[in-house]
Amino acid sequence: MTTNKLRWAYMDHWRIDTPQGQLSQYTSVKRFDEFLKQISAIGYEAIETFDFHLGPLRELFGSLENARAFMQSRGIEKVLSLFHAVMYDERQSAPHVRSTHDHIVNYAEYIMRSSQGLGVENFIVMPAGLYYDVEPVTDDKIRACAELWNRVGEMTQKYGVKTCCHHEFFCGIRTAEQLRKFYEWTDPRYVFFYCDTAQHVIAGVDPVELYLKLHDRCGGFHMKDTLNVDLNGDYRRRPDAEVMAPTTPRWFHEMGVPGGLVDFPAMMAAMKACGYEGWVGVEHDKADVGGGNYPESTALSAWYIQHVLKKIYA
Amino acid sequence: MQKQIKWGYALNQWKAGFTCFARLEEIERAFKVTAACGFDAVELNAGSGRWDPIGRPENIDVNFGSPDHFRLKLKDWGIDRVASTFFDPTVMSFEELHFGLHSTQPADHPRILAQARIHADMLAALKGDYLVVRPFPSWWKEGGLTTGRLAAAADCWNAVGAMTAELGLKTVLHVDALSALRTADELEQLMALCDGRNVGLCFDTAELTIAGHDVVSLYRRFHERVWHFQFKDALAADTLDEYKLQNAERAMIAAGGEREIQRWFGEMGTGLVDFPALLAAMRELGYAGWIIVESDKGPAPIATGMMLNSWYKQHVLDRRVD
Repeated sequence: MTTNKLRWAYMDHWRIDTPQGQLSQYTSVKRFDEFLKQISAIGYEAIETFDFHLGPLRELFGSLENARAFMQSRGIEKVLSLFHAVMYDERQSAPHVRSTHDHIVNYAEYIMRSSQGLGVENFIVMPAGLYYDVEPVTDDKIRACAELWNRVGEMTQKYGVKTCCHHEFFCGIRTAEQLRKFYEWTDPRYVFFYCDTAQHVIAGVDPVELYLKLHDRCGGFHMKDTLNVDLNGDYRRRPDAEVMAPTTPRWFHEMGVPGGLVDFPAMMAAMKACGYEGWVGVEHDKADVGGGNYPESTALSAWYIQHVLKKIYA
Repeated sequence: MQKQIKWGYALNQWKAGFTCFARLEEIERAFKVTAACGFDAVELNAGSGRWDPIGRPENIDVNFGSPDHFRLKLKDWGIDRVASTFFDPTVMSFEELHFGLHSTQPADHPRILAQARIHADMLAALKGDYLVVRPFPSWWKEGGLTTGRLAAAADCWNAVGAMTAELGLKTVLHVDALSALRTADELEQLMALCDGRNVGLCFDTAELTIAGHDVVSLYRRFHERVWHFQFKDALAADTLDEYKLQNAERAMIAAGGEREIQRWFGEMGTGLVDFPALLAAMRELGYAGWIIVESDKGPAPIATGMMLNSWYKQHVLDRRVD
């Protein structure tokens, strides 16, 4: 009997259709139950979610331990990762501004303390602010970011959680050179790389090549596709690059989308060659832009895992 | 015995109107969602119109080249088998130039047989097993069945059954919630008149429950003739006899009748059908055929209902050993 080396997790961005319009599935036990059953049915075994869902989970189930037990009864083992949802602001929290570091570390520790019981393994952060808030991106600013995440990473490790950096295409650390410096200046014991395949492609960085360079620091993946490289400088466009870029209404798509630019087979081959074992996250944020829907995108990603990726590496 | 039950999924939930499920990329996505949910077989729907790429043989030829090429595409998408095709002669057909044919009218029989042959030929070419047919018009059009009309319908389906037998297929009759056939005794009479070699029954769990039947006991009574199943739940029963309403397809099913029922059909485990009890009876009585799960008239997003049915199958039905 062979044991699979990989297990698949789902990074949750869903909104669901209700008689009150679209709502979060964290608004009722029934909605959350149906969400869990859907993703469990097609082979995902954990979820990743935002840390602002900790409160609703506690409200729905009484405690996070109860929430996890409920998930397990539906076939979902744990909340693998918490995505730290912070609106960076130089007055209070901005990784490149050293005077805000204490606040960021304290808030991250609050999240660590308040997330016990879910089985969280990863604390996912965007390691720099929005590009236009950080530019010009100097070595000193990258060093400041590195100092911060070293502190945060050392702290989260006390809670058994890895701090993982996830580089949105519009964040201040996005180019190959910026990434090289950041990982050179962070402590490999405390700071890990979270490989979001689409974000790097949009930013003009080959995620496979990046993974091969950083594989020994890779804490996990967000496997998603894109149809566009940012050739127009949308990454620095105010007020928002992610959902308001005039060139591109929808940046992100599910794996296997026709015309997708991410080379997932090459990524799987690289993971196999490097001996990666553990969880692999799947994501397709903003799947509803332009008339799509999250359940169908989630199922199509599962199809791609079952019929393409698992044949390369499982 | 359990291993002989085969599971598939219907496709009727995807085609809500002529603009949807028309483009080939939509078809591909639908099959991939089906495969992702763990189903590697499907039931096709006999359709009409050029915007139904997999509903008719000439459409299959135009869009895929041939039935063999279509089967290869299905394999690419994770679908290994076409189990069956559902054919309702009471629905209008552009190609056959009619607005609905009645099995109870002998004059309609040659045209029903000819149209059924078109879909049976395609099903045989796709290596399917069962032609699932709607055996009677709606009660509101037909009124109660007389002995003569029941016999006429039996003649019709015997002819279709003989035709499908020549192709290596069987014909199964799918009685629905609006059917002119209402009672178990009428079903008994019909079965007595139909050729037991070629013509059997398809039990649709929701339709029969809405019509007031206890599916488990009805199955125990007719199990020798039940060769095919469609599994979906019923969220309400027609306790007000609204199948008698003028245009009940609209007034009862679509508009919900006096109670304004929002959905008659639901995902397995959410309504009135006792699926564990039914499956236990099927295993006890040695059922060895297809179970086609349906998301008939399921709300958008379609994938949601399919994934919920998949979860229920995996976590409730597959784990149940009676």
